Amino acid sequence: MNQIVDEIQTFHGGCPHDCPDTCSMQFKVKGGKLIGVRGNPDHPITQGGLCVKLKDYEKRHYHPDRLLYPLKRTGPKGSKQFKRITWDEALDEISSKWKAIIETDGPRAIMPNSYLGNQGLVHGLNGGDAFFNRMGATVCERTFCGEGSCTAWLLTVGPTAGVDPESFCHSKYIVIWACNSVSTNLHHWRIISEAQKNGTKVVVVDSYASKTAKEADWHIAPKPGTDGALAMAMMNVIISEGLQDQDYIDNYTVGYAELAERAKTRTPEWAEEITGIPAEDIRKFAREYATTPPAAIRLGVALERSYGGSQAIRAVTCLPALIGAWRHVGGGALQFPVWEHPYKFDVISRPDLIPEGTPVVNNLQIGRVLTGEIQLETPIQSMMVWNTNPITQAPETDKIIKGLEREDLFLVVAEHFISDTAAYADILLPAAMGAEMEDMILSWGHLYLTYNTKCIEPPGEAKPNNEIFRQLAKRMGYEDENFKWSDSECLENYVDWNSPTCEGIDLAYMREHGFARLKAFGNKDVRARHAKGEFPTPTGKCHFLVEGAKNFVAGPFRQMYEGFQPGEDLDSLPDYLASRETPDTNPELAVKYPLNIISPKSHGFLNSCYANVAEKIKGQGEQFVLINELDAMARGVKEGDPVRVFNDRGAFYGIARISEDVNSGIIVATLGYWRQLNNGTVNCISSAEFGDMGHSTTFSDNLVEVSLA
Amino acid sequence: MTTLVTDNCHRCRFTECVAACPVSAFRAGEEMLFIDPDVCVDCGACIPKCPVQAIYEDLDLPEQLNAWIEINARRSKVMPKITKKESPYAGADDRKTSLGF
Repeated sequence: MNQIVDEIQTFHGGCPHDCPDTCSMQFKVKGGKLIGVRGNPDHPITQGGLCVKLKDYEKRHYHPDRLLYPLKRTGPKGSKQFKRITWDEALDEISSKWKAIIETDGPRAIMPNSYLGNQGLVHGLNGGDAFFNRMGATVCERTFCGEGSCTAWLLTVGPTAGVDPESFCHSKYIVIWACNSVSTNLHHWRIISEAQKNGTKVVVVDSYASKTAKEADWHIAPKPGTDGALAMAMMNVIISEGLQDQDYIDNYTVGYAELAERAKTRTPEWAEEITGIPAEDIRKFAREYATTPPAAIRLGVALERSYGGSQAIRAVTCLPALIGAWRHVGGGALQFPVWEHPYKFDVISRPDLIPEGTPVVNNLQIGRVLTGEIQLETPIQSMMVWNTNPITQAPETDKIIKGLEREDLFLVVAEHFISDTAAYADILLPAAMGAEMEDMILSWGHLYLTYNTKCIEPPGEAKPNNEIFRQLAKRMGYEDENFKWSDSECLENYVDWNSPTCEGIDLAYMREHGFARLKAFGNKDVRARHAKGEFPTPTGKCHFLVEGAKNFVAGPFRQMYEGFQPGEDLDSLPDYLASRETPDTNPELAVKYPLNIISPKSHGFLNSCYANVAEKIKGQGEQFVLINELDAMARGVKEGDPVRVFNDRGAFYGIARISEDVNSGIIVATLGYWRQLNNGTVNCISSAEFGDMGHSTTFSDNLVEVSLA
Repeated sequence: MTTLVTDNCHRCRFTECVAACPVSAFRAGEEMLFIDPDVCVDCGACIPKCPVQAIYEDLDLPEQLNAWIEINARRSKVMPKITKKESPYAGADDRKTSLGF
């Protein structure tokens, strides 16, 4: 070993990005600088590799545009004209403004706006909840990604982790339903790909030929928003051909008779009309799925992004119990294993501090709220945004911008860069990044706890999110003990270290090892969690039928608040529920806007993160619009032409790529591009209407037209 | 953007990289490996696995190795997939030593 190598120190890291893989990594630090990152070779999911986004994570830390100092706006809103101020000036101004607002209009005139831009327990999704709950601010419901899926899953099988993602190595038939694993769940894809090499059949259900669909043995492409019809028709085939596992159904499920009755009319021919998939293919799919054990389904987030998306997820979640797939190691379904992680959300979020009657605003509809289209009893006068970038990520972007331009709105943003949203801030706070702060990173894709070491100092005067809230709490006079906890003390308090699943694991263990498999999950090679039912539902069974079900959003996505849940009655059974905007369901709108758009994640970006990094933009390419040759010809569009994509909500621009990856009637444009670097962003055209459950998004339920730009 | 194999692999072919690839992007030439740029997803998992530093991301590629971008693109289209680790080329260890690793 030469001297240079000796100087490099290695620390445990955890990727904080919004991704199910939650990689365990190694930070390489030399002379106080992060010089590189590597996937942890010992971690059974990370397996030594990272991804296109994270492989040079150090470059994002040292990006020349990093925010280094607190800034105060000096020009018009959105002009990006700021002057440097001190932390004291920034925090004094924020706290005095907020105190004045609270004095005159009450705390409900203030609201937080955050999401999973950081997945840390301390600095992430729920990190600011306690502060704003203590304030009595309007509660922010945050349902960008997976919340409809959560509601559907919880109603059907309860808060179970489902099939172990590692047990997919034992599956003989794998269905990836609405997930582009190669781009967004790469480390699970690796396990699936190994199984595929050993003879497992991999079926991808996706409305376009994603990178993952191209790797599949069979790609099934339903029209956007019609997956529920496909799943219902699979039930019809399974039941009418006697392929169900009657013993499993009799012992471990509720409502089979009712489900069978409903499925009776959901024939493959009926579904062919709706989905565009030939009835014979639906039969083949159902038969193969039911007769090739162990069969596993990976439920993707995208499935919920249509009006009927969550009903579709309920239908898909019923399939494993119908065929008894849960009996087998590597059989069942995987949604978000976070349900069985030992996080103490009530301690993190402190819902006990929320004053009774506190209203809720959903951050998908923030544009409508800020512009007054949605009338609140106490209109919002100040908003703090961190860990999210609504201008690229939330729908109805033009309305959001209108709202953020309001002179009377006091906007505080904590960010790494002057993002599209940060450009509108009155006070802009520099936030610390991954290697600069201690945390543990939650995972919604595997069964491990993950530790992240603070191994370098933040640049300039950047501070970790939690430090910002500690200092704000002090100024606001919040004396509760939790606002004084250091980040380490937070971790001691935020994880249920005494639960059986943490046996032998504590914070010291995490610091030494970087990750730990939760004990409750046992061995991936023998565990069949629901072989004998034992679902964490009120009856202990899988619920095809849910009597008296009401709509709700899962607690962690609404500051653990139980007030003002959506609460509307839900169908007691799963079914196909038509989209709002497709040529079949809304022919009138389709006269003006005949194309359905899908807006998946970009391969080279993580939401809007990395879309300001030159190398990543080079790899990902400029904003493109995939369009079928028939649709392109009809509009005089040729390969490489600049095109405008638009509807009544707005427009964005991209380069046309004529491709057989999309069927006629559908276009694809990936998400994440910055508005300040492009002309519009995909979500300009997206509707802020909710899906059928969990206030999910409807990003795949939008009609548009394309023209030459 | 792509990841590619360069001449240090020639007559080494340790194939440690192959097992690291989540998308089976490696192709087996007779004396070295190639990466199919249309399959590679640029995750970078293979780069640190190579005992002779033969693998680069094109953005980090030393200029004198530029020709390998085109060679990988062309050769990968005619060579078979390799998805499991194989024995190194005969004499690979000597070659590794001669390359200074």
